[in-house]
Amino acid sequence: MPTPSDLPQPLLRFPTEVRAAYQSFRATGDEAALRTVVLAAVRDFMPRSSAKSRTEPLRPDERLIEDLGFDSLAVAETVFFFEDLFKVAIKNEDILALHTVGELCDFVAKRARTSAAAS
Amino acid sequence: MNTAGPASRRPVVTGLGFITPIGNDRATVSAALRAGRHGLAPVEFLGNPNVPVKLAGTVKEFDVSSTSCRDWTWPARYDIPRETLRGLAPHGVFAFCAVEQALADAGLASTDVANLPDTGLFCASAGSARMLHHNLGQMDAARGERGNPMGVVSSICGTLNFTLGAHFHIAGAVCGFVSACASSSHALGYACDEIRLGRLRRVIVVGAEEHNAETILPFAAMRALSAQSDPALASCPFDASRNGFVGAGGAVALVIEAADLAQERGAPILAEIAGWGQSADGHSMAMSHPEGAGLRLAMQRALADAGAAPAEIDYVNAHATSTPVGDKAEALALRAVFADAGARPRVSSTKGLTGHPLSMAGAMEAAFCTLALAEGFIPGNAHLRTPDAVCDGLDLPRETLAVAPNVVLNNSSGFGGSNVCHVLRRWRG
Repeated sequence: MPTPSDLPQPLLRFPTEVRAAYQSFRATGDEAALRTVVLAAVRDFMPRSSAKSRTEPLRPDERLIEDLGFDSLAVAETVFFFEDLFKVAIKNEDILALHTVGELCDFVAKRARTSAAAS
Repeated sequence: MNTAGPASRRPVVTGLGFITPIGNDRATVSAALRAGRHGLAPVEFLGNPNVPVKLAGTVKEFDVSSTSCRDWTWPARYDIPRETLRGLAPHGVFAFCAVEQALADAGLASTDVANLPDTGLFCASAGSARMLHHNLGQMDAARGERGNPMGVVSSICGTLNFTLGAHFHIAGAVCGFVSACASSSHALGYACDEIRLGRLRRVIVVGAEEHNAETILPFAAMRALSAQSDPALASCPFDASRNGFVGAGGAVALVIEAADLAQERGAPILAEIAGWGQSADGHSMAMSHPEGAGLRLAMQRALADAGAAPAEIDYVNAHATSTPVGDKAEALALRAVFADAGARPRVSSTKGLTGHPLSMAGAMEAAFCTLALAEGFIPGNAHLRTPDAVCDGLDLPRETLAVAPNVVLNNSSGFGGSNVCHVLRRWRG
């Protein structure tokens, strides 16, 4: 089980299974584990005003703004979370191209792979 | 005493919210003021026992010491949604809770103040030096390539207006006030003017500050803070032995309404704000005018605005923070306004109990004055043992008095010589 000292600060308050998934991704590159982390972060940044049920699983085709109730600041905040987690910089035009949960998962996976390869 | 004017133009206080060193609700704060129970606690800033600041007026029941809002805790009775929390500074959490409490005290639900063109929100804080420091450090570490999207709204002066205005859907006016330790007094004064001018019918006034190293410690560099570790000796306004102020944090909110609006909805009126006045010293960026000339003028203007003679004032809640220069200036100003006119109101500084919460002081002490008027007592001077000779002629009660004041004066002064005073009066309809 990862200890807090092994974990990056942004993940410290996330549930055990999410922290374990992050460690698994770092150790093995398992993209399913990374997807668990991304979905947990999306859930964390989802506003209370969202029409989406808190318990229903997120679907790849759900749109962050129209379906989940994100505003553009929440999208930027979510992206910054991954920038901070993987120590990467993400351009505005890349953020603007992200509309759905699935696109975000794919984008983060791609950038995390690049980050892992560089480190 | 001027009580003229239609009820639609008379600002009254209908709700109070307290997250303060001496209590996190109205009843606890009132009890602390009556009992002379202070809210100072030991602090060790930056983990360094050599820092010459040993005490602060701290908020209890909250932990907002982290720079990540995910780590923060607050009393479960307050429900802060994620989309609001993301933009809050640590003192924004205090302010959120104080506003919720003030609205409930005024008999209002948050939906009652939402999207109304006649409801405003006026705020005051110094911003969050801690969050600013952290966010800029993060940006520096990334050599400017990335930064927290909430870095601006959660840090800069104005953070309260941005976040609370959005959360409570305030549609009439949202504004921040920056005059250092007179800031929330300015917010309250201008809130009253908006009501008196008929532009707004209700304004929520908020003052808040953090009591962390980043907010408080820079004042030690100015040699403005007490190095005392004994709470009974550290914050002792007007005492001959005073040697600096004790920093404090928290939040206070007041619901100010036009009297007719309060009456229409059957809300209990706690006090009327009968007038206010301001002035500037034109003297120093940080020190008071040596004879309190600016504060004297602000008091006189507030009295004139309220149509009150000096002899009508039963109690003055002084700004006195326990600094040698500031308290002396205020004592001289009080003597000029009152003693020279043959008037002798009771005078106290409640900062002996709370410490000095900077921008928040004016709103907090206006709320204390409101409690004094609504509940019938006059706060004493906690920790005053030997009054400075400069206070000769001033009536400085040590203990809180079970005497119901009718008209009170609230003083505030801030860096740059900003002085603001309010006259509050017991509501008689």
